[in-house]
Amino acid sequence: MKPTTGEKLFYGMNYIVLLLLGLSCLLPLVHILALSMSDAHSILSGKVSLLPVGFTMESFQSLFQGTRMMDSFKNSVVITVVGTALAMIVTVLTAYPLARKYFIGRRFFLLAFLFTMMFGGGTIPSYLVMKSLGIINTYWALWLPALVNTYNLLILRTFFVGLPEEVEDAARIDGCGEWRLLGSIVLPLSLPVLATLTLFNAVGFWNSFLSVLIYINDTHLYNLTVLVQNMIQSQSVLQEVVASQMMQADDTAQITPEGIKAAGIITLMAPMVIVYPFVQKYFVQGALLGSVKG
Amino acid sequence: MAVRSSLTDSAPRTGKRLKAGTVKLIKQNIPLMIMFLPGLLFYVIFKYAPMGGIIIAFKDFNLRDGVFGSPWVGMDNFVQLFNQAQSLQIIRNSFIISILSLVVGFPMPILLAILLNEVRKMAFKRVVQTLVYLPHFLSWVIVGGIVLSLFALESGTVNRWLEGVLSEPYPFMYEKVSWLIIYLGSGIWKEMGFAAIIYLAALAGIDPHLYEAGSIDGANKWQQIRHITIPGIGTTIILLLILSVGKVMDVGFDQIYNLQNAVVSDIANVISLYIYQIGILRGQYSLTAAMGIFENLVGLVLVLSANYFARKFNQGLW
Repeated sequence: MKPTTGEKLFYGMNYIVLLLLGLSCLLPLVHILALSMSDAHSILSGKVSLLPVGFTMESFQSLFQGTRMMDSFKNSVVITVVGTALAMIVTVLTAYPLARKYFIGRRFFLLAFLFTMMFGGGTIPSYLVMKSLGIINTYWALWLPALVNTYNLLILRTFFVGLPEEVEDAARIDGCGEWRLLGSIVLPLSLPVLATLTLFNAVGFWNSFLSVLIYINDTHLYNLTVLVQNMIQSQSVLQEVVASQMMQADDTAQITPEGIKAAGIITLMAPMVIVYPFVQKYFVQGALLGSVKG
Repeated sequence: MAVRSSLTDSAPRTGKRLKAGTVKLIKQNIPLMIMFLPGLLFYVIFKYAPMGGIIIAFKDFNLRDGVFGSPWVGMDNFVQLFNQAQSLQIIRNSFIISILSLVVGFPMPILLAILLNEVRKMAFKRVVQTLVYLPHFLSWVIVGGIVLSLFALESGTVNRWLEGVLSEPYPFMYEKVSWLIIYLGSGIWKEMGFAAIIYLAALAGIDPHLYEAGSIDGANKWQQIRHITIPGIGTTIILLLILSVGKVMDVGFDQIYNLQNAVVSDIANVISLYIYQIGILRGQYSLTAAMGIFENLVGLVLVLSANYFARKFNQGLW
């Protein structure tokens, strides 16, 4: 069938609207990238839009030399890697029994866990629990409360329930115990969903912000998110950097707070944006798994 | 070891065989229980113990006497909350901001999904999808930083562009209305794409024959969207609406913390900020725990009632 004029108009508009939306997501990031690589004079005179003007990596240099950027980058990596590993192990071990029909108390536990999605004690009671456990100011206060995300647990359980029973029955007849069944049959069949959940967990830990503000007091333990936030909000951190650079350099006009802020944002964003294209298919899959929850 | 069949066989028969079945069942459950233990402990310690900690909202909590030793004060904390002009303003702000986020933000992913669904060029669709999903993965610190660098008074990019148009820079982040628009806009910008994924999946499930029949009957594009597409994803829309209604008091901390400033605090001061600033930083645990309970109870009641209404139309979540 030939498209009518109205339809042509609709399709044309549709492409334009979507193109603009897509660009609106891309261009601000490109602009920040350009700012982070431009010299102070160009930034201050407003010449920088989408390409660096007066290309220089000075902002990054002074950022990494003048602040705890490198340390907090390492902290972020530790928080993310250990936290994700712990969370994945516990989530798998919790989801597997809940997917077995003969697990005693299955329904009760499922409902009890579901309830926590709708009601909770809140920030203050959780803080007091952490305090009484004595894990304030350690990364355990970031890892332990995030061990199981109920939503992720349900996604994984639904996936386990959907695996073909015949394979498992056959393995059982061969004398396979629950641990081996999980390790050598169920997990290898679940790699895509495991990849998705690993990604969700890793993003969560990398971006952790409020929990660091609440539970970590020692500035040496801050992650990148909190450090960059401090930089953006408080001018003092920036002025310190700029001042320390001015002292040693003779050409004073190379860096500005704007450029350093932009460099901070880019550093915080870089791992996400670099990994993003490779993992995109997994998270689309994951978001869809959530829709068939049971 | 054909476990499942032996269980179903033995269960309804004689007592002796039932007993043998029970022993087997328990034996079989032992490894499962071991696996389950860490997760169970997690829920007990980090989910249910804090719920028990709610009692401090009815106490005058101090760290020395602890949760159980501190003196009871009944409803005093709640009375104090609802008599303070400041806390009432905070509750009002939370309510206004999240209602607005819901009203403005909820339809956006649906719209985006419908538009994406109409795209015939697959490569174009994939590129747009890749771009609009990206902001979801950036933390609010990044988004807040970008917003500031775009809309700041002195050095903001937008004000630089407007230099020729306006006589002086416009204080985007310091005027209530423009701040609110930026707040809502950045929320939509960050989450619209990712939230559209679920609708795209629902759209893919609509039978293409319906569209064929529709266009043979002379339905134009708008009529097709109105009568085929939207009803086709109705269940998904209602399900997600119920879930988001439960969050109506809950203005996410990260977003507000990274976008607020002292000038707009009359409108930007919300429950999550209050709990952090007054509770965690200044140690007023009982008062802020009471605020937390209030927030969570309102959320629970809203989810349950939204579900109740949806059930009347056979669309309930449970």
